[in-house]
Amino acid sequence: MSLTAWLLVIISQLALVAGQIFLKRAMSRREHGGEKARGWIGTLTIGIATMTVWFLLWLGVMHQVELSKLMPLEGISPLLIVLGAAAFLHERLNWRGWAGVGLTCVGVLLVSAS
Amino acid sequence: MHDQLPAAALPKPAPGLFWNPYLQIFFTVLLTAAAQILLKVGADHSASDNSVWSWLGLAELGSGITWLGILAFVASFGGWLYALRFLPLGLAFALTNGVHIFVPLGSWLFLGEHISLLRGSGILIIIVGIVLLAQSVAKVEEKV
Repeated sequence: MSLTAWLLVIISQLALVAGQIFLKRAMSRREHGGEKARGWIGTLTIGIATMTVWFLLWLGVMHQVELSKLMPLEGISPLLIVLGAAAFLHERLNWRGWAGVGLTCVGVLLVSAS
Repeated sequence: MHDQLPAAALPKPAPGLFWNPYLQIFFTVLLTAAAQILLKVGADHSASDNSVWSWLGLAELGSGITWLGILAFVASFGGWLYALRFLPLGLAFALTNGVHIFVPLGSWLFLGEHISLLRGSGILIIIVGIVLLAQSVAKVEEKV
């Protein structure tokens, strides 16, 4: 994979994680109401825009890189989301949760590789 | 980003089975899988030429089935946003991996595609992973 392709892959995965975090923040703000609810539509719009960037970058990468090389990256996206949610939203998982995320990643890798 | 409340303070959804966020995740997964299959059928139905329209994926827009697929995607996004109001992002996102179970099963049922041993093993491992995630949720809710 070329350096440009790697860069596109990394940016697209970052956009996926950031987009989902923005969507979550927007919906949490809306739910909590009061002062915190202000600006939730703006955060939602940023989330949708970031997800659109992810989608377009991913489509672009799929044109340039063999699918078999990209699939492992699709498999680890749940893990990246969990790490992103832990870092920015302070979400915590118990050991069953971590094991579940790990197994779904392995399962997605196998389904994608077949 | 420090406004996330602890699990005990997560908002409660409206009463009624339909408003259960886990059921909404299930709908999201089913609708996404349906969308993927409808888009595939729509792409197969549309003219396969080498025009720019076809290359950009725009030729598929001429098929009503493709539009049904797009509609299913939009509906699935609604369910996803609803679930995010009540569930932690990491958990909810991991549960959406159920798509990787329903797309191969739907492709087998409706498109006659073959499920290899490797794919079947992957599906089983995803199911075990989702069961573990469900148990982790049950444990957290017991404590709350």
